Order: sequence, then structure tokens, then C-alpha cells
Amino acid sequence: MAVFFATYGSLIVAMMLAAMLALSLYLPLLAGQLSLASPGFYALGGYVAAIISTRVVPFDSATQAYVWRLGAHEILRFPGPLYPVSLLIVEMLVASVLSAVLAVALGLPALRLRGIYLLLATIAFVEILQVVTQVLDLTGGAIGIFNIPQPFASQLGYAWVVVPLLVLSAFFVYRLERIRVGRAFTAIREDELAAAAMGINLTYHKVLAFTMGAVLAGIVGVISAHSINTWNSRQGTFDAGIAYLAFVLIGGSRTFLGPIVGGIVLYALPEVLRGIAAIPGLPPALAQLLKDGRLIIYGLLLVLGTIFFPQGLIRPNLFRRRKFEATRQVPGQV
Amino acid sequence: MSLPLFFQQVLNGLAIGSVYAMFAIGYTLIFSILRIINFAHAAIFTLGAYFTYALTGSAFGYNGLLKNSALPIHLPFLLAAVVGALLAGVVSIVIERLAFRPLRERGADPLLSLVSSLGVAVVIVNVIQYLVGAENYSYPAHPYGNLPTAINFGLGTRRIPVRTVQIVIFGVAVVIMLLLTYWLNRTKTGKALRAIAEDATTASLLGINTDRLILLTFFLSGMIGGLSGALIGSSVSIAGPYFGISFGLRGLAVIVLGGLGDIPGAIVGGVVLGLAEAFVPAQYIAYKDAVAFAVLFLMLLLRPQGLLGGAQLQKV
Amino acid sequence: MTTHAAEQALQGRPMRSVALEAEQLTRRFGGLVAVNRVSFDVGEGEIFGLIGPNGAGKTTLFNMMTGLQRPSSGSVRYRGAEISTLRPDEIARRGLARTFQNIRLFGNLSALENVMIARHVHTRSGVIGGILALPLARREEQHTHERACELLDLIGLLGRAHQEARTFPYGDQRRLEIARALALEPTLLLLDEPAAGMNTNEKQELSIFIRGIRDRFKLTVLLIEHHVPLVMGLCDRIAVLNFGQLIALGAPEQVRQDPAVIDAYLGAE
Repeated sequence: MAVFFATYGSLIVAMMLAAMLALSLYLPLLAGQLSLASPGFYALGGYVAAIISTRVVPFDSATQAYVWRLGAHEILRFPGPLYPVSLLIVEMLVASVLSAVLAVALGLPALRLRGIYLLLATIAFVEILQVVTQVLDLTGGAIGIFNIPQPFASQLGYAWVVVPLLVLSAFFVYRLERIRVGRAFTAIREDELAAAAMGINLTYHKVLAFTMGAVLAGIVGVISAHSINTWNSRQGTFDAGIAYLAFVLIGGSRTFLGPIVGGIVLYALPEVLRGIAAIPGLPPALAQLLKDGRLIIYGLLLVLGTIFFPQGLIRPNLFRRRKFEATRQVPGQV
Repeated sequence: MSLPLFFQQVLNGLAIGSVYAMFAIGYTLIFSILRIINFAHAAIFTLGAYFTYALTGSAFGYNGLLKNSALPIHLPFLLAAVVGALLAGVVSIVIERLAFRPLRERGADPLLSLVSSLGVAVVIVNVIQYLVGAENYSYPAHPYGNLPTAINFGLGTRRIPVRTVQIVIFGVAVVIMLLLTYWLNRTKTGKALRAIAEDATTASLLGINTDRLILLTFFLSGMIGGLSGALIGSSVSIAGPYFGISFGLRGLAVIVLGGLGDIPGAIVGGVVLGLAEAFVPAQYIAYKDAVAFAVLFLMLLLRPQGLLGGAQLQKV
Repeated sequence: MTTHAAEQALQGRPMRSVALEAEQLTRRFGGLVAVNRVSFDVGEGEIFGLIGPNGAGKTTLFNMMTGLQRPSSGSVRYRGAEISTLRPDEIARRGLARTFQNIRLFGNLSALENVMIARHVHTRSGVIGGILALPLARREEQHTHERACELLDLIGLLGRAHQEARTFPYGDQRRLEIARALALEPTLLLLDEPAAGMNTNEKQELSIFIRGIRDRFKLTVLLIEHHVPLVMGLCDRIAVLNFGQLIALGAPEQVRQDPAVIDAYLGAE
């Protein structure tokens, strides 16, 4: 058991992070907004973590502590060698705020666009952010930032943070779909015009959904930066967005469980294939395909998914009956 | 900036811009009849570049399934480019049949077609990577035979060298665009295509075979895309299969600049973007890639209907 | 004027106040004038009909009154306040609810959810309150559910509350759309061709229904309708549009005999 977790610890954590990234795309989608902006906010969150932990509160090997200095004065000191979880939480808060601000700034103008135009704007945003981070010194330029400290002794240790986060975000989205604001999102997704005629402020709700997704992606970025140990502009790319889209499309775009299942299963899929590729006796061409074919698979899934299961595998009517029982009794019905 | 340098930049800009324009027309053709953005166009572009490379008999490198292999034929560059473009056109038709037609038949939301085309693009580009690796491939030197690598314009002491490649690219692109415009406006099939673009239902009621014309459009779009890939490849070399995606995203900037679904718009947009990129000052050269995206972004926010304002627009 | 109002006026009593006022409303599209300087008043509590041949500009007029289109010139006032520059959701908040000519229900959602969504403006709970099920949110959710059920009961669809809206027969969908609009607790209800696609019996029932909800909820009703007999029987006053212009305005009997109206409808109905 211990060996299993040791070998697969980082995979399990990464699968859960993937599930949350899928949720970050699902949130704007709840309000009918197809956005591939999540990788940008993911990158932003990672940079926040990288910069804070290596530049603002860097590790001082002499004293084995993380020291926050302003000029010559020491303001706070956190004993190491593991990076304090409290600072991790601070990073998540900072990333949330920054993501939210950027999301509103980006969303207010961009969410007036519909469909393809919005998608293009979010793609452009990710690309621009990528170039900017490659050029700025603050973000380490083309090389990025190295030696990001670890808050946990093992990869599996991240589960202490990731599992509660996943549960919280899942709960959040689950509840969201059942309350007034969530209904407004759904109305907008179904028919914007009718939703507005029913008194729903379109811009406010679209930006809200978009911002929620951005904040989630930013938080995941923070954790990933520590987990992967380095962070550079290759962390938030168009490809990544395609992967999240596949998670949501295949997993299910109509219920909160869809992206979670999609993220977990589809993230693990290439790893499983890689495992299969290691089976001796396989023709090398096939083995190579299985090993590097992650994106080919996601791409194929996107094509097949749109044709054969546009609503994804996990569909709300799978639960419909249970959902009826759970809702309050309609007066007059037995 | 000295005058000769200025002219050189302008000519560079025009050359690249004309290919952007040609490439963008591929998007426009499909958007105008199906109202979808075909992201796979970027992959077709890449395929065109790689097909042409292979057809000139050049060898593939150290990675990928087909490492160190080469086709036993050695076509001269321009012929290879044409054949490569034709092959790209065929692939485009296959994509239409396999990915777009089923969605059309199910009456699917155009956004689903877009997502599907994203999938196709990613598959193709990664298959290329799997087959031939991600290295840089340069076309054989002197792709244009005996023409010198640069021709000097200008008089007397002010001689402005322009790479032959740029001239050829510009020339080919202009010819193609003229042919296309002629075809769309003067021939029966071309006019039928414009009819579908205006109103698909009425067009089919008038007996226009929409299905066949859609196939034809995809073929043409693929050919143009593939040819653009070959041309760009000969100008800057192929920097791995993802260079097509990056080019493809820039093509999107062009069509938004010019207005979705508008061919003259694509031409204007292409030239504008080409010139904008050519004039990026040297110290900001790292940001050059972002120019297209910044343009795209600003256009979407400020004037989504494009510079020429001819496009369909849905806003809240 | 309704006979009642006329009696009131004769006896020197003030007329009922004006609910909706359109003044010189005009809408141009390029070279075309879809609506040309149309002015009329709708009194509180009236059932006001807007009729005219196809293409007369009725829906454009409606759209200008519900925030979907801006007038090129002219104004629309509701209870004194200018609404022609407001967004559709702002107009809904002012108490104007509408239905659509082509039925715009939230098809994939249940009948109950459709009606509950329209309670949006009368509830306040936000994301945090909702997620944590704080007391306010719980109360509002309960109330929303109850209110929606009441309205579904009113139209007889309570038994099928959880059925997807798009699966309902046409007539039920129309009534569902009206119930949804009623959930907004409007003071002015705008109905865009509510009887389209109905047979004579259904139109009769609809007529009775509309009068019923006008009385019960103290509404003013403005409706576009193509079917002239329905309008004649139901409306207190009628405005007739042709080629974007108002060609007649008044009680049904007057309008019915107006030569301009007969001219416009030559051959129709």
C-alpha cells in the first residue's frame, strides 16, 4: 500500500488538480460561456506562488528558515526546511485576488462577445500572457523560476491540501447549481434573451461565473507550482486548455460531477497507456504512440465526443430520478 | 529609420502579409458557408509544409517514427508545393467528411464544430510530431532554382535587397487571390458558393448542391492552407509542427481584423498584420509573437465586426 | 376608452391613470422605417391590443418597449419613467414582463425551474448565502418554490412540474410562458401573439384566462395578436398598425368599422 502511494502519489494529486481545472472551465460554461482562459489564470497562480516563495519569502539556508525581509529588516521568519502551509494559504489568497481582478478586467469587455468571439478572446489572452511572462524578469523570463520550495515531504503530502480543496470546490459547484445564482447561470446558458427578459443581469452573472473559474484555476496553479518545483511560461498553454475542454466535454458538461470524473479519468488515461506501453513485446511504434500520444488522444476524444456524446458521459438525467426524490415534495403530489 | 530599411520592412511586411491573407482566406471560405471557424486549418497549413518538404526528397531527422527516412522522389520546390497543396486539400475533404458532416447532420451547435476542429488540429499536429519529430526543418537551398537569393531593387546607390523568396511568396499569394476572386465572382460554381454563404436554405431550394459545394470549399481551403504552409516553410523554415498552430492563431487575428466571412477583409487584415509585425522595433522583438494576439484581442473588444465592418456579429 | 372609463369621464371623475405611454416611437433600419412615429397610451388595468397585418411593425414596437431594440427616436414611458434606454433586465425589474412570439422557454429545464427562474428579481440571496444555506437563502428558496408551484397550479401543470419544458404540448408551453412571466409579479404584461397556433376553442380559453389573470393580479395587459376576432372580444382598446404607422386607435367597435382598418386587412380574416 505504501509503495503504491509512493509511486503514484504525485499522479493521484495531479489527477485531483486536473479535476479542479476542469471545474474551472465548467464554471463559465454553466453560464453558457465557452472559455479557454483557465490556463492563463493557472499560470498566474503558479507565478504568484513561485515569486512569493522564492523572491518575497526566500529560503535562507544558513538559518534553515523562510525569511521575509524589507530592505535590511527582517519582518517575519518561518522555520523550514518545509515551506509553511500558512504561507501556502497566503499564496492562494493572493492568487485568488489577482485572478479575480484580472478576470473582471478581462471579462467585462470580453463577455459581451458571444460564442466564437469570446473563445478567440480567451485564446488570445492566454497567448499574450505567455509571451509577457517569457519576457518579464519578474517571472524569470524564458527560463522561468526554479527551486520552488515544497510544503510537504512527499508528493502524496499534497493530498492534505488538495483533497479538501477538491471536496470544497465540488461542494461549491454542486450547491451553486441548486441556488438562485446558479439558476440564473443556467437560464443564461439556455436562452440569454429570455433570461434577460426575466430580470437577470447578463453581464454581472457572466462575469461572476468567469471569475469563479479564474479563481479556481489560480488556486490550482499555486499548488502545482510547488508540486512541480519549477514554473515557466510552458505551464499555461493553449494545449492545456484543450485538455481541460476534453475533460469537461467527455466527462460531462451538464453536471458538476462530469468535469471531476473527466479530469480524474482522462488525466490518468495517458499514464495508464504509458504503463501499457512498458509491456515488453509491444511493437515499438505502438509503444511510442502510447507514450507520447496524450494530446492525440485528447484531440480524438474531442472529435468523437462532439459527435457521439455532446453532453458527455455523466449526464444529469442519470440522477434525475434521485434528484426528484431529493427535492421538496410538490404540494398535491403523493 | 533609413529609407532603404523602411522599404525593406514594408516589402517584408507585404510578403508575409500576403501569405497571412491567403491563409486567412481559407478560414473565411469555410466560415462564410458554414458559419464555423475551422481550427484544423492551422493543421492543414502544417501538413502542407511537411508534405512539400517530403516531396522535395528531403530527409527527416532524428526523432519520430519516420526518422532518417526520405521519399525517393525529388521534386523541384514549386512542383512539390503544388502537390503538397493538393494533398492538403484531400486531407481537408477527409476532415469534412469525418468530423464536420456528422455534426451538420445532427444539427449541432456551431460551437461543437469548433471544438471538434480544435480536436482535429491537435490530433494532426501531434501525429506529425509522432512521425517526424519536432525539429527544425529547412527546405533545400535555392528552392527557386536558378534565381538569385536576393534581387536588388532601387536605383543607383540606394539598392534595396529583397529576398527572392519574399517576392515569390508575394507573387504566388497575389495570383491565388486574384484567381479566387475571379472564380467567386465570375464562374457559376463560385457564384453558387456565394449564394450559399448568403442563405443556405434558399440556395439549396434553388437546386444548388450544397453538399458538393461544401466539399469543394473544403478542398480549396485546404489547398490554399497547404500552399501557404509550403511558402512560409520555404521562407522561414519549419520550426516544428506547432509552428502551424501559432500561425493558425495569427490567422484568426487576421480574420477578426478584416471581419469574419469577408474575403477582401481577410486580404486587408493580412496585409495590416504583416506590416504591423514587420515594424516591431528591434528591442521588442520578443513580443513579436504577441502582436497578433494583442491585435486580435483589441479588435474583439473594440470592433469585433472587423475593420471593414462587413461581418456578422452577435453581441449581447 | 372603455365604457366604464367613459362613464367616469362623463360624471367628471378622473380617468384611470396611464400605465404605458409611447410617444412618437420610430425605428429605422438602414433605409427602411419599420415603426413610424407611433404614439398611444395604455391605461392601468386595461387589456390593450396591438394588431395589424404581418410586417406592420408590431414586434418591433414590442421590442422597443422591452429593451431589445432602441428606438431611433421617440420615447416610451412606464408610469412616468423613461424606459426606452433600459436593458431588458432593468425593464423586467420595473414590472414589465413579456412572452415571445416564438416561445422562449428554457427548453431543457423543467416547468418548475422555468417559473422559479423568473422569481430572480424578487429574491436577493447571493452566492455565499446560497451555498451555505443561510436562513435568508433558505427562506427565499422555500418561497420561490411555493410561488412557482402556485403559478403552475393556476395553469394546471402542477402535476407535471418536473417535466422538461420542451416536451410539453404547444398550448401548454404557451401557458407556461405566461406563468413564467407572472412569476415576475409584473404590473404590465406584454404578450406577443399568445394565441398563435391555437384552435378556436383554445383561443376562447386563452381569452378567458387572460381576463382572469388581469383581474386576479391587477395587471395591465398589452398584447400583439394576429387573430382579429380574439382581439375584438378580449381587448378594452385596440391600436391598429400598418406599414409601421398607427392607423386607428379606440374601442373594438370603432376600430372594426374604421375604413382604414378594413382596407389594411382586405382579404385577411
